[in-house]
Amino acid sequence: MRVGIVCPYSFDVPGGVQNHVMDLAEALIALGHEVSVLAPADEDAPLPPYVVAAGRSVPFPYNGSVARISFGPVSTARVRRWLARGDFDVLHVHEPFSLSLSMLAVLSARGPVVATFHTAMTRSRAMAAAQGLLQLVLERITARIAVSALARKVQVEHVGGGAVEIPNGVAVAKFAGAAPLPGWPGEGGAVGFLGRFTEPRKGFGLLRTAYADLAATRPGLRLLVAGPGEREELLDGLPAELHGRVTYLGKVSEEDKARMLRSVDVYVAPNTGGESFGMILTEAMAAGTAIVASDLDAFRRVLDGGRAGVLFPVGDAAALGARVGELLDDPARRSALAAAAREVVTEFDWPVIAERVLEVYATAIEATDGRVIDQEVP
Amino acid sequence: MWWVVGVVTVVVLVSTYLTWTAARVDRLHARAAAAAKALDAHLLRRAAAAAVLAEERSAVELYAAARIALDSPPEEREAAENDLTRQLRTIPLDEDAEALVAASRRLAVARQVHTDLVRDALSLRRRRVVRLLRMTRRHPEPEYFDIDDPILAPAAVPTPLP
Repeated sequence: MRVGIVCPYSFDVPGGVQNHVMDLAEALIALGHEVSVLAPADEDAPLPPYVVAAGRSVPFPYNGSVARISFGPVSTARVRRWLARGDFDVLHVHEPFSLSLSMLAVLSARGPVVATFHTAMTRSRAMAAAQGLLQLVLERITARIAVSALARKVQVEHVGGGAVEIPNGVAVAKFAGAAPLPGWPGEGGAVGFLGRFTEPRKGFGLLRTAYADLAATRPGLRLLVAGPGEREELLDGLPAELHGRVTYLGKVSEEDKARMLRSVDVYVAPNTGGESFGMILTEAMAAGTAIVASDLDAFRRVLDGGRAGVLFPVGDAAALGARVGELLDDPARRSALAAAAREVVTEFDWPVIAERVLEVYATAIEATDGRVIDQEVP
Repeated sequence: MWWVVGVVTVVVLVSTYLTWTAARVDRLHARAAAAAKALDAHLLRRAAAAAVLAEERSAVELYAAARIALDSPPEEREAAENDLTRQLRTIPLDEDAEALVAASRRLAVARQVHTDLVRDALSLRRRRVVRLLRMTRRHPEPEYFDIDDPILAPAAVPTPLP
């Protein structure tokens, strides 16, 4: 199948949507499909061979962070040229409601269009004002995918119409094969956390409290943290004698993320809410690291009801400390959890997810020309 | 003189809008019809896969449900397909049911897409200008196909333990 994928955000900055697009493109190529990805980027930027640069992007504040996007007559011309040259069987756009290449591509498309919605955006005044335009965009889309139940719910309530729910994939092999950082996890054990620790909903404060208690009785226990922020903020509230036992990696690349997850005995996800899917959990599962996570709906589902990771009551630092302590003392239980996690995470492996995306492509093509495509059972 | 230019402009704008709307009506109806055809094909495939499995396992009730779904007249089809889904929910999904699980999953996607495309077409039909100029006279009204979610093994979202 010839597939054209449009990514609205530039590959210069790392981000969830960009990673998703790259992993999907690579999984489709591995399955023998022809893929071209259009994304905003400078012509001389180093890009994977399947990416076509759509030119310079401009910074645009979006959803609390700055996204770099392309929009305007020049971008429109480039999108049209790419579409004409690509002659795709199906066009797959991401986040088509952002003012971006994705929207331009949808409006210029003639054939079947599949759209993936990532963010669970709520209806804004701007969206209400642009209802007519959004309706036109929506009408051009043949099939819709939502990456989480929350994103799907927003579809149903705000835009009208449903979406096929296909979760984010995880490149299991990349995580399972990563080498731990030198010297980690070490004799005394190590606990890990990844994410925006300054954001209350990520629940890092709970882990800080639990770690302070655990570290008091376990002299070798170390804490490994990665994510955007300042070291001072990270250590704020932690007894000074423990500061030396906390390693802060800052913001990490995808490869370092995998290495970081492989470097700890227990990965902790203390989130208190707002998490729609729990991508990081599937990554820790792929890395084969034992998990202690808040008992949120999304986490419980990903962890197969607690079979693939230990759950603790949301917001309960004492329970979190107890669960982590038990796991640190019980290597056999840790490996049992990791084995169960590896089994569960195969459902989220990119080759499996890509097959399901291909089924949506087939359906979109069928709904455009009415013929039914034969697809082998994988 | 100026009023001539004004009238011409208005006529051009209005006729462009009407042509464009008529093209939209045609496009959305063609798509809904194609989706209905595809949905029909996937319903047949699932019923056929169920019948094959029922024969292999000598499951009489499942075979009957599959036959009824295959032979049902349009007005009874939704009920027959729902009966088949209920039957399928009771059987163990072992290795030999792989084709059936895949067919059910494809059917679920086809049903979702069909529902969305029918909704798009119907909302355009309700527009006043479309109704007034009877732009839909060449297109029969698309109908929803209202059945339960046919998915058998939710592959990616494991159900939480009680």
